[in-house]
Amino acid sequence: MPDAAPLNPPKAALKRWRLVHTWASLVCTVFMLVLCATGLPLIFRDEIDAALSARPHAAALPDTAPTKSVDAIVALGRARYPSRHVQFVFWDPSRPHLVGLGVGTEADSALENVERVFFDDRTGDVMGTAPAAGGLTSFLLDLHRNLCTGIVGDLFLGLMALAFLASLVSGIVVYTPLAQRMGFGIVRRARAARLYWLDLHNLVGTATLAWALVVGATGFMNTLEAPFFGLWSQTTTPALLEPYKGKPLPTKRSSIDAAVVAARAALPGMTPTSVGFPESRFGSPRHYLIWMHGSSVLTARLFTPVLVEAETGEVATARQFPWYLRALELSRPLHFGDYGGLPLKILWALLDVLAIVVLGSGAYLWVARLRAGAGRSPADELDPTTPAPVTRAAE
Amino acid sequence: MTRPDATRDGLARVFAVPIVLALLTFVGLLAALFGGPGIYEWVSWVALTAPVLLIGFCVVRGRLG
Repeated sequence: MPDAAPLNPPKAALKRWRLVHTWASLVCTVFMLVLCATGLPLIFRDEIDAALSARPHAAALPDTAPTKSVDAIVALGRARYPSRHVQFVFWDPSRPHLVGLGVGTEADSALENVERVFFDDRTGDVMGTAPAAGGLTSFLLDLHRNLCTGIVGDLFLGLMALAFLASLVSGIVVYTPLAQRMGFGIVRRARAARLYWLDLHNLVGTATLAWALVVGATGFMNTLEAPFFGLWSQTTTPALLEPYKGKPLPTKRSSIDAAVVAARAALPGMTPTSVGFPESRFGSPRHYLIWMHGSSVLTARLFTPVLVEAETGEVATARQFPWYLRALELSRPLHFGDYGGLPLKILWALLDVLAIVVLGSGAYLWVARLRAGAGRSPADELDPTTPAPVTRAAE
Repeated sequence: MTRPDATRDGLARVFAVPIVLALLTFVGLLAALFGGPGIYEWVSWVALTAPVLLIGFCVVRGRLG
């Protein structure tokens, strides 16, 4: 082939890449559209939650008012809900002086059955509660993560994410010969609708490619959450529980405040975000599980678990997550776009809408090509000098 | 048939703008994440607006042309 320059892949190779692009896209387009549609309101999840439900506020007291210890708050919680179980304590740095308790019907209720009760840490009053699950954003998140089908949905959407990434990469290859002839960003308006949408598909797709790659790849990473945590748990838990083999479960419980102090000493500069109790399913049966995070924008999203022995109050382990879990945590902000204030969220939403345009126009182009009938060479519509096809759509 | 100049021109023609946009996107994504609030947030916002603006420009140009 005389014009087999690097930019012009041989026709056979191009045809294969076109097949990859067509089929990878066909497989994932519907699901990607669902993900884009559910993802759009989820970008503004905090804002929607705040609008839909009254957020508990701490009492208006001077800063010098004495605060109760966490142990005291937990005791208050147990006294208030004698037939239920306090499973964990948590704090929200954006809401100081509010201490949250996770209260479940069983000692080891699943997270979706645990109600959140917020106490003011100076008065000891209950300032508000949040239901375990339900609510619009929880439903949207469930739909987005796994189509409300649990781990099967997680893995399935992971496969769809891979198909999406294949579609992006093959899209670049398929786009190259056409762009070589026409340059970047030409949108042919006066021609048939199909050419207009092809140009728009290429323009928007190319301009948003890097963002789509990042969001798609981080989305794929997030589907690996359960297997990654499972792997880490399997590799670290046996060694942790080895010293306790054969010993009865602890009956004496050390102070939670003391456990937090010990955790802070083990990881200076980091702050605790929650403490899981031994009887809950969020940790080890012999330890308090304390999640710590850093203070910068980045490190605030990177969590390190600290295990403190429930009986003695000593730190058992405060090791950082392995690299694959760090990567997973890093992929969360890059997927949600929630780390740069409201302007970033708005831009994220715009890019999401543009992604919908690319997906929708891709589907339209495929249907239009089917309707135009077999017998048309795929190369025809890539050639800018081709006369308009028979199906000239009315504008 | 293979003219090196044409190939290089073609390469630039195809990839120049997309590569710049991709780099701007990566800078925009990472600036606020690693830099925190303040100037780095602004870098993110400006950098990520670029693809949106360029698309708008090209579409308007197509309507007018």
